[in-house]
Amino acid sequence: MLRHLGSRLAQAAIASFGVLTIVFFVMRLSGDPTLLLVPEGASREQIAELRHELGFDRPLIVQYGAYLGDLLRLDLGESLVQRAPVATIVGHRIPYTLELAGGALIAALGIGLPAGVAMAVWRGGLIERGLAAIVLAGQSLPTFWSGILLILLFGVLLGWLPTSGADSLASLVMPSVALGALTMSTFARMTRIAVLDELQRDYVTAARARGLSLAATIARHVARNAAIPVVTVAALEIGNLLAGAVIVETVFAWPGIGQLAIQSIQARDFLVVQAIVLFVSLTYIGMNLLADLAYVAIDPRIRLAA
Amino acid sequence: MRLTCSIAVALVLLSGAARAEKDTLTIDLVADAATLDPQIQWDSESASVYRNIFDNLVTRDQSGKIVPQVATAWHYANDTTVVFDIRSDIKFQDGTKLTPDDVVFSVKRVTDPAFKSPQLSQFDQIVGAEVSGPSQVTLHTKTPYPVLLAQLTKLSVIPQATVQKLGDTAFNQHPLGSGPYKLRDWSRGVQITLDAQDGYWRGKPPFKTVIFRPVTDVSTRVADLRAGRADIVRGLGPDQAASLKTEKGLQLLGVPTERVAYIFINPQSGPTKDVRVRRAIAMAIDRDTIISALQQGYGKPVNEVLSPADFGYDPTIEPYPFDPDAARKLVKEAGAEGAELTFLTAPAYDRRLNEAVQQMLGDVGLKVSITMLDLPTYLKRRQGTPEEAGSISQGRWSCSCQDADGVIWPLFHTGSIWSKYSNPKFDAAVDSARATLDEKQRLADYHTAFEILREDVPAIGLFQDFAIYGARPQLKWTPTADEAFFVMDMHWQE
Repeated sequence: MLRHLGSRLAQAAIASFGVLTIVFFVMRLSGDPTLLLVPEGASREQIAELRHELGFDRPLIVQYGAYLGDLLRLDLGESLVQRAPVATIVGHRIPYTLELAGGALIAALGIGLPAGVAMAVWRGGLIERGLAAIVLAGQSLPTFWSGILLILLFGVLLGWLPTSGADSLASLVMPSVALGALTMSTFARMTRIAVLDELQRDYVTAARARGLSLAATIARHVARNAAIPVVTVAALEIGNLLAGAVIVETVFAWPGIGQLAIQSIQARDFLVVQAIVLFVSLTYIGMNLLADLAYVAIDPRIRLAA
Repeated sequence: MRLTCSIAVALVLLSGAARAEKDTLTIDLVADAATLDPQIQWDSESASVYRNIFDNLVTRDQSGKIVPQVATAWHYANDTTVVFDIRSDIKFQDGTKLTPDDVVFSVKRVTDPAFKSPQLSQFDQIVGAEVSGPSQVTLHTKTPYPVLLAQLTKLSVIPQATVQKLGDTAFNQHPLGSGPYKLRDWSRGVQITLDAQDGYWRGKPPFKTVIFRPVTDVSTRVADLRAGRADIVRGLGPDQAASLKTEKGLQLLGVPTERVAYIFINPQSGPTKDVRVRRAIAMAIDRDTIISALQQGYGKPVNEVLSPADFGYDPTIEPYPFDPDAARKLVKEAGAEGAELTFLTAPAYDRRLNEAVQQMLGDVGLKVSITMLDLPTYLKRRQGTPEEAGSISQGRWSCSCQDADGVIWPLFHTGSIWSKYSNPKFDAAVDSARATLDEKQRLADYHTAFEILREDVPAIGLFQDFAIYGARPQLKWTPTADEAFFVMDMHWQE
C-alpha cells in the first residue's frame, strides 16, 4: 500500500513538473505582457526599457532556470501586474474556490442522488421522464446562459438571492447550483444505473419477500451497494469542480481562482497563471489519488486482491 | 392596535435603513483594481479607485480645463522650466502635512526606470524636479513640452515618509494619500472599501463609505443595478444601454470621451499602398449607419483621427463623404477589384464593427478577410513591420492627455511603432507642435498635419467614443470626457 502510494506521488510530481514546463513556454510563445502594460503612445525605446526592467529580454531558458530556482525555494515570486506576492494573491482566492466547490458538491449530491434513486424506482413513468428532462437540462445548458437566467429570476425578479458577489451564505446558493448542475446530472445518471442494477438482484427479491418495504430495502441494502461506483466518480468530480469554475465565477462575480486565472491570462501575468496551474494540477492529481484510496476502502475485495 | 404599532415601528426602521443606505455608495467595476499604488497601473478600473484616495498636482474641471489641486498656481520660468506653488494646508490621511518634498518624491519615483512604472512614458519628458522654496516645486523638461500639464493631471501626490517606511509592496496594499477617501480594506477580487476622510481640505465627501466591487460580466452588473445591489455600474456597452433606456428606476449616464474610434489603413504594404484604394475605403464606410445601428447613437462623427475633446481637433477638416459609387470607381481605377485585404483584429475590438466594415468594403469590390488574434499577438503584429501589420484594423485611441500630440504623433510619425506611414511634411508639422508652448502655433501646425492626413489617408476617424454608466436615479453626477471617476463630484438626491 505504501509503495503504491509512493509511486503514485512520484508520478504526480513528474506530471506537475511537466504541466508547469509546458505552461511556462506556451504562455511566453505569444508575447510578454510589456505591450499590455504601457500606455498606447509609448515609443519603441520606452517599451524596450520596461521589457528590460521586467527581465523579459533575457533568453527563455534563463528565465525558466530562474523560475525553477525560485520554485525550489518555495518562492512563487511577485505578480508584475498586481505588484504583490503571488502566494498572497492566489492564496486569498483558494478558500472561495473551495467554498464554491463544496457548495456545488452538496447541491449535486443533494439533488442528484435522490433524483437517481427516484428515476430507478419509478422507471418508465412520468416521474422518470420529468427528472430525466431536468438531468438533461443540467447537463446541456451552458452556464454562462443558465447563470444569467438564475440571476434574473432569483436575484432581480424575486429578489430572494444576491445577484453577485461572495459576502454571505445566500450568495453561495446560485453559483453552487449553476456549477453543480453538470455534476448533479452525472450523479443522477450514475445512481440510476447503479440502483437499477442492484434492484434486479436476488437479495432485493428476498428482502421484499420477507415483507420489507421498498423504501427500507433501498435505504438498508441497495444504497450501500450502489454507492461504490458513485463515490469513485464523486472524488473525480471534486477535481472538476475545483478546476472548472471559470465561467460560473465570472458570471456570478465569485472571487475564486477561475476568475483570477482568466484575468491573469488576459493580462499575461505569467507567475500568477503558473501558480494557478500548479494548484489545479496538484488538486487533480490529489483527487485521483484519493479516488484510488476510496475505492480500496469501500470495496474489501480490492484490498484483498492488492 | 399592537399590529399597527409594529407596522409603524417597522416603517420607521425601514426608512432609517433607507437613509442609512445613502451613506454607502456601491460601485460595480469591470475588473478588480490591479494596484492601488497610483504610480503603477493606469488602467481605468484601478484609477477609478485610487484617484479617490489621492490628490493630483493639477486636475481638470467639468469643462476639461486644467485647474489647480495640490498646486495652486504655476508659471513657466523658461520654455523648459515650470514653477509650481504648492498648497500648505493639505494633510495626508495619517495627519502628516503634505510638503513640496512629497511632490518632488512623487515625480522622482514614477520617473525612476528602476521603479518599472508602466506610466513612465507619460512622465519621462521630465528630467528634473526640485524644491525651490518653502512651498514651491520646480520641474524641468527635456525640451519645451506643451503636454506637461495635461500629463500632470495624472500625477498623484504620495507621502514620501510612508512609502519609504512601508516599502513599495506594502504601500500598494495599504495606500495612503491626501484624497477625500481613505482605504479601509482591500479584499482582492472581492471588494474595496473606502471611508470618507474627516476634515478633507476640499470639503466633506458626499458618502461616508464607498464600496467598489469587481463584477466582470456586464449582464451581472446590469442585474446588480436592477436589484439595487449596486448604485452605479461602470463599463456598459451601447447594447446594454439601449436595453436599459426605457427602464424606470435607473438612469444612463453617457458622455463623449477623448477616445476616438478609427480604421487604420496600411499605406506601406498590400493593395492599400495605392492611395486611391485608401480613399475608396474612406468613402465606402458609412459612419452614420455604424453610429446609429452598432453604437445605438453612442458616438459622434469625427472629421479626423482625433476626438473633439482633445486639443488640436480641427472642425474645418472636411471628412470623406459616404459615396460607394465613387469608391467603386476608384477601386476600378486602381485595378484593385477583388483585391484581398487582411483585417487584423483581437477580441477586445467590436466584432460587429469588423463585420460591418468587411461588408461595406465588399460592396465596393474589395475582399476583406478578418484575422482574429489574441491581444498581445495582435499588438506585436500591428506594431511590427508594415508587412506584418495587415491592410486594415480598427482601433480606439485615448492618450489620457486630451492632446493631439498623444494621438497623431504616435499613430503617424515616421518611425513610431504604430505608424506604417512616412511623410516628412507631416513629421515637420507634428514635431513643430510638440516643441512650442504657443497654442496658436500648435493649432496651425495641427491644421497642416490633418490636411496632409486627409490627402494620404493612412487612417480614417470613425467616431468619438462614449463612456456609458448605469446608475440609480438618485445619483447626481456629470461624467467627463477624460473618464475620471471622482466620487467627490457625485451626490445623492432623494
